[in-house]
Amino acid sequence: MDAQVRSVLRRVIQRIPNKNIENLLKKWNCLSADQLCALDYTRPKWMIVEQVTSFCEENRLNLKHITNLEMIYHIENPDKGVWHACQLTEAQGMDDAVGVDLTQFKEQFKAHLHGVVRHISIKIKKHEDEAIWIRIAWGDNFSKPNHLKPTYVVHHLHTSYVFISNLMAKHKIFLCQALVIATKHGSIKDGHLSTRSLTAMRELLLRRYQQVFPNAHSRILQERNTLPSHPCIGKEHSEHEEMRYQMSCEAFGHGPTPKLETAVYRLETRYRGNGNHTLSDREEFFRGVVRFSSSSLLDSLRHCVASGMAEGPVTPLLSAITQRGRNYFVITDKGPGVSSQASAQRA
Amino acid sequence: MALLTPYSKVPELNTATVLLVENEEELQSKLANALVQYEKDFNVNVRLARKLPLPVENKETRPRIDLIVFLVNLLSERSLQSVESSLAHLHSDCFLGKVCFLVTDARCGSHTQERLVSVRKLAAAHQCPVLCAEHRTVDGVNAAAVRLLNILKVSAGMSPIATTALYLSSLTRCSVTSDLEED
Repeated sequence: MDAQVRSVLRRVIQRIPNKNIENLLKKWNCLSADQLCALDYTRPKWMIVEQVTSFCEENRLNLKHITNLEMIYHIENPDKGVWHACQLTEAQGMDDAVGVDLTQFKEQFKAHLHGVVRHISIKIKKHEDEAIWIRIAWGDNFSKPNHLKPTYVVHHLHTSYVFISNLMAKHKIFLCQALVIATKHGSIKDGHLSTRSLTAMRELLLRRYQQVFPNAHSRILQERNTLPSHPCIGKEHSEHEEMRYQMSCEAFGHGPTPKLETAVYRLETRYRGNGNHTLSDREEFFRGVVRFSSSSLLDSLRHCVASGMAEGPVTPLLSAITQRGRNYFVITDKGPGVSSQASAQRA
Repeated sequence: MALLTPYSKVPELNTATVLLVENEEELQSKLANALVQYEKDFNVNVRLARKLPLPVENKETRPRIDLIVFLVNLLSERSLQSVESSLAHLHSDCFLGKVCFLVTDARCGSHTQERLVSVRKLAAAHQCPVLCAEHRTVDGVNAAAVRLLNILKVSAGMSPIATTALYLSSLTRCSVTSDLEED
């Protein structure tokens, strides 16, 4: 094991809390049972790192195994780092349902990238829930792939969404080309959605939360009013309350929502207040950024609407977060809606 | 404009009804639970509302209201504004002992002091009492419920001594002293 492999291994182990290391090493299945027993997880981290390194050297493990370990760690803990969503558009082929199967995708993807970048290391794994995880360590014409800063890409084969983490700008074009070719689409575009939690992103885009659709008999409250209130207590505005709750659930979903943390609105509009004359007569834009942050943004917005703090109906600027699946918007003067042509870069 | 009148309905036997009006709708449910649990001698009905005017649809089913309590959260400007606009929907007969103000968070910060002064001026102008309550603990909510029940008993005519609501309100109404006027 050379120095690079050791440093990658060290990095991986150092990131994991001690209590999770055991499970991870078991899943990895590269150390023998005796070695696993011999590890003492109560010792300080650097001791554990050294022990594991020495075991790996005994077993003659190489870079492939170590990157496998790193990948397993990331698949088990997808909510680390910042993820960005992209969407593939212009599906080619007569029938969308044809799609691409896994082997085809793998071959095309690897072939393209190996063709354009001299030194690159790609690892593709398929997870149980139909997600393909790709780990890419980029090098260039002169240097070996850098395994300390790999890019992770997650794609669900029969959807058009791709989730990317840790991609540098100079490699973006190669990755996008490879994805487009391997999935038989025409182009890929920025999804304007970035979060820390991949789970939240997937739940939002793949609609894995409980959506509520407007209908004439919209009464989801039977499930909601689980607390039996005293028969002597009566609510005057119960109809309004129900209506508000219905509106909020239509916009943001019912039950647990995907845990988004921020929503950013970039304003490119002209100042329109009546007080300050120096600002309102200008031709140029009054640039500003409005940022909503919360530990669970959709829950907070839903509560704002349901409790009446925000007046209904829910403004399309807020409901676009769930309806369009994005959290970065550019608002221009052209109309009251949301500009679909965001030219600015990702938040 | 339909005003809420106190005497337009017949009272029910051994029952008193209190209307809690609060913009935020947080304290009122806790207070309602405490109110119905504490009183054993007579039935207490609690109606919860966000603001006045009350919906017309409920007019038939709504019992006669003996006491209207406005819950004001002094930390929020909107709370006070909502109460001020709701007051316009009350018939003037209500102010003869059937309205009461309950404020919370009176000790938190400087803006609350100014708002407390405005609430007291408002209450003094309408001859109503102001109660201060502490709503973050169970004990505080229970204490506020007990005080409200005392006033409710008189307003509903359940007090054994012949105390009328009007008499009680003239004793308990908020007064604004001259040093507050100068603020």
